Amino acid sequence: MNDRSELVIETRSITKEYETANGLYRALNNVSIGIHKGALVAVTGKSGSGKSTLLNIITGIDTPTAGNVVVGNIALDQLSESALATWRGNNVGIVFQFFQLLPTLTIAENVMLPMDFCNTYPKRERRDRALSLLELVGIVEQADKFPSTLSGGQQQRASIARAMANDPLFIVADEPTGNLDSQNAEAIFHLFTQLAENGKTVVVVTHEKDFASYFEQRIHIADGSIVDGALDTGEQKAVTVKR
Amino acid sequence: MNTRIKKIFRDLTTDIPKNLMLISAMMIGVFGIGAVLGGYAVLEREMAKNYLSTNPAAATIKAEGTFFTRELIDSLRKFDGVRDVERHATISARMKIGGDWYPLLLFVIDDFSVPRTNIAFWQSGAATPPLGSMLVERTVYRVIQASEGTEIVIKTPNGKQKAIRISGTVHDPSLAPAWQEQTGYGYITLSTLHWLGEIQEFDELRFTAAQPEIEREDIGRTAKKIAAWLTRKGFAIHEVQIPPPRKHPHQGQMNAVLSLFTIFSFMVLVLSSILVASSFATLMVKQIREIGVMKTIGANSRQIAGLYLLMVVLLSIIATGMGIVLSRFAAAVLYSNISVLLNLRIFDPSIPWWVMGVQAAAGLLIPLAAVAFPVLRGSRITVRKAIDNYGISTATTSSGNAWLATISQWTMMGETFVLSLRNTFRDRSRLMLTLGLLSAGGAMFMTSMNVSKAWDNSLGKITQQRFYDLDVRLHHFVPTVNADSVIKGITGIRSAERWGYSSTSYVLDVPYDIVQTYPDKGHGSFQIVGVPLPTSMISLPIIEGRWLNAKDSGAVVLNHIAHALSPSLKIGDSIRLSIDAKPTSWKIVGFAEDLYSPATAYVSMPAFQSAACVPDRFNMLKLAFAGRENAGIAEKTRLIEEALAMNNVSVQQNISAVLFRNAISEHMGVLVNSLLAMAILMALVGALGLTSTMSMNILERKREIGVMRAIGASPKTISNLVLVEGLIAGIMSIFFAFFFSLILSFYLGEFIGSMAFRSPLSLTVSQPGIFLWIIIILFGSLAATYFPARSASRITTREALAYE
Repeated sequence: MNDRSELVIETRSITKEYETANGLYRALNNVSIGIHKGALVAVTGKSGSGKSTLLNIITGIDTPTAGNVVVGNIALDQLSESALATWRGNNVGIVFQFFQLLPTLTIAENVMLPMDFCNTYPKRERRDRALSLLELVGIVEQADKFPSTLSGGQQQRASIARAMANDPLFIVADEPTGNLDSQNAEAIFHLFTQLAENGKTVVVVTHEKDFASYFEQRIHIADGSIVDGALDTGEQKAVTVKR
Repeated sequence: MNTRIKKIFRDLTTDIPKNLMLISAMMIGVFGIGAVLGGYAVLEREMAKNYLSTNPAAATIKAEGTFFTRELIDSLRKFDGVRDVERHATISARMKIGGDWYPLLLFVIDDFSVPRTNIAFWQSGAATPPLGSMLVERTVYRVIQASEGTEIVIKTPNGKQKAIRISGTVHDPSLAPAWQEQTGYGYITLSTLHWLGEIQEFDELRFTAAQPEIEREDIGRTAKKIAAWLTRKGFAIHEVQIPPPRKHPHQGQMNAVLSLFTIFSFMVLVLSSILVASSFATLMVKQIREIGVMKTIGANSRQIAGLYLLMVVLLSIIATGMGIVLSRFAAAVLYSNISVLLNLRIFDPSIPWWVMGVQAAAGLLIPLAAVAFPVLRGSRITVRKAIDNYGISTATTSSGNAWLATISQWTMMGETFVLSLRNTFRDRSRLMLTLGLLSAGGAMFMTSMNVSKAWDNSLGKITQQRFYDLDVRLHHFVPTVNADSVIKGITGIRSAERWGYSSTSYVLDVPYDIVQTYPDKGHGSFQIVGVPLPTSMISLPIIEGRWLNAKDSGAVVLNHIAHALSPSLKIGDSIRLSIDAKPTSWKIVGFAEDLYSPATAYVSMPAFQSAACVPDRFNMLKLAFAGRENAGIAEKTRLIEEALAMNNVSVQQNISAVLFRNAISEHMGVLVNSLLAMAILMALVGALGLTSTMSMNILERKREIGVMRAIGASPKTISNLVLVEGLIAGIMSIFFAFFFSLILSFYLGEFIGSMAFRSPLSLTVSQPGIFLWIIIILFGSLAATYFPARSASRITTREALAYE
């Protein structure tokens, strides 16, 4: 059903540098990766290795100092900040480590908010869609509760439902289980697997070695560079592990 | 409802104390403007309505030695440019209250049943006073401490003391309240005037103009034509009084009061807008993470800005609504109180709609403008910056702060103080906002106190420039020897001088005086005063030129009010002043500041006697007593009255320095009180501002506080840290506030003084004002930072470190 040969995300020789008090800091160094549609990809590496920077760049949250990012045939460097926001709302679902649900909205309203901002679904359909997504992640009965009344695992499920709200091209999750117990973490990884099987591309930054088997592609970063991968034509390539 | 709108509503109801503070800040501004403008609009309308309802005479023509008949009045009614004419007489009598004599102005009305000009409205008792009785103005009762139906003893210039019954009460809106002027107003028939012992008839002719909007020059032309016509008929015209048309005698003071209120209410609005801006900056800080999240799920900067601006609009609507409602009550209190001070009757208490329009525009637009910057800045934050925000401010002490580092080295400074000091300076823009808010509040507070003190000092000049305790004015010029025998017989008189005075005017092309005097004979009058030189009774500050000396014969010094009547006059100019309708020539040698006096031309006593053809005679006594206690003055005044009466000298009025000061004080009471009310309002907004900015500081440093707690800082240490920070900001603001208050006080004093009394108030520093503000800032800073400090000390380490 899914054309797995199609590259959804592609970075070409991207470098990211920051000005710091101690001078120029290179967070990413000449990184090129390709992620296929429907893949469940792990981005691993130590703290400060550049994982989050890579994630920020492929979601358009940050821009590379050099190199290009193409996501779903769109060159992100061609988009303005405002266009990027709209693009992100329509094409990217983001899951945070600390869930980041808006505290003054109910779970269902949190899921409806991206549809509201991007105007992707008619108003009358939004709640139904939110409920069906909450059902998908298994917390539909919590729909009208506020985030503070839910457990960490439930909040993370809600945040995944919110990431799915606009039926995005891909989902990125930054250490989504970092704040959860192992049982909840497993449930979340299981959910990501299901999403990938249904054709969603899912990129997860994780330290969880116990769940390595869930991923069909693993990108390991150290000191801003891709490691454990063969170099080809002078560019670093991601290591692809076919299951 | 859109999900994002729901978020805004929920956010508004989540942090109720904070939002209530925001609403209060905005409301104070809207309230202030509404109260002032509402009061202003009603008073301005009602003052005009009250004054015009009396059908004020456009001019009064005063004849001498002759009187006007009914037939003459009837023929004058047909005169071109005249709508109506009435004959009249005004007598400067005196009334005895307790043992003291007070001035009493008696208005002799031709026909009480058909009043035509300067109408006094009947309130109670007799509509026409029977023979031997009088109606009194409603505000007189506070002075005479008697009631309708009782009798008081009065004395007219040529009559004997008589007890006259008060047969009724009227309201005369064209007169200032009797208690304010420390004088009485009575309304009598001509028969009663004769009953009192006077032989005088109607010697005044009042007319109203055919055109209601006519200007003073046109009235003057008509008055001159009538005077010429009367002269041809054999009447000796003595004076033509043309007060400023359609202008209440106290219009200047009212304008000063209301201008002051308006300036301050806009200042409050500006102050509260700074507060709103700073509070919204806090809110945006708190919302940065949420903004980041919303941006990651598709919101753009415009949508985010729209959300928070909507929040401001909602808060503004609530604040404006509450401000408008409350301000209407305050406006009612304001116009009611001022209407008492101006002796007005409020016919229509409705506040015009435009006031609400101004309030709504100010209440909605100014907060929006104030928050535009923090909201736009917050909404434009990049997603990365927003979600990377960990609650520790990135602002650090810059390397340029060598002095901070030096202070930090001082060993007597505790670590907590050093840390508080550094924290105070770590975010310059925040510090500027806090200082701006507190300095503005302090500057306005101190300005209120300074201007109030300047008023008080100005009042004090009465005793600094006038060294006499009693000013006795006689009905007629009397030989100098008469005074000497009186004075010699009374002990306790330190010194006495015999002066002369007469009403005057700049001589024009007519053989009579044209003055601006109102019918109360006080407001708008112009007098020429003969001063024995050198004098020990007055010492007026010279604005330009010099004071009189004994060798001067034709020299004149004009006070600033007289100069204002003819501003083109300069030193060395020759002028002609009329005395008893005869022109006299003078050369201007100086201009003097002469607060609270009518327009006055000072000349030497011999020159005055010569010009007025009253050699060796005087009609004014200036007396300085050995002891200046009030009780002693009253007793001596009585003795002098009795002695003069025994020498057949008729006193027109005596004004003690105390009575004069009281009258002026009553005039200025409303100004002083309103300034103090404004000062309190400023202090309140300033304290709210400090609380807001300190809360913002705590919120931004929640994680930092957690770190400090984790490395051993006790809740008390955290609390002290915040309190000291508040105190440092507060103390710094005092210096800025003082500096700005000097500038504000100078301009405000100049504006108000010039408007009310044609003399700017001198720049005055109120030491209690500074002291009070220091106390307010110290305690206010502690009180304002108490809640943020308490909340900071209660943050648990876990909670603070988990803050996202």
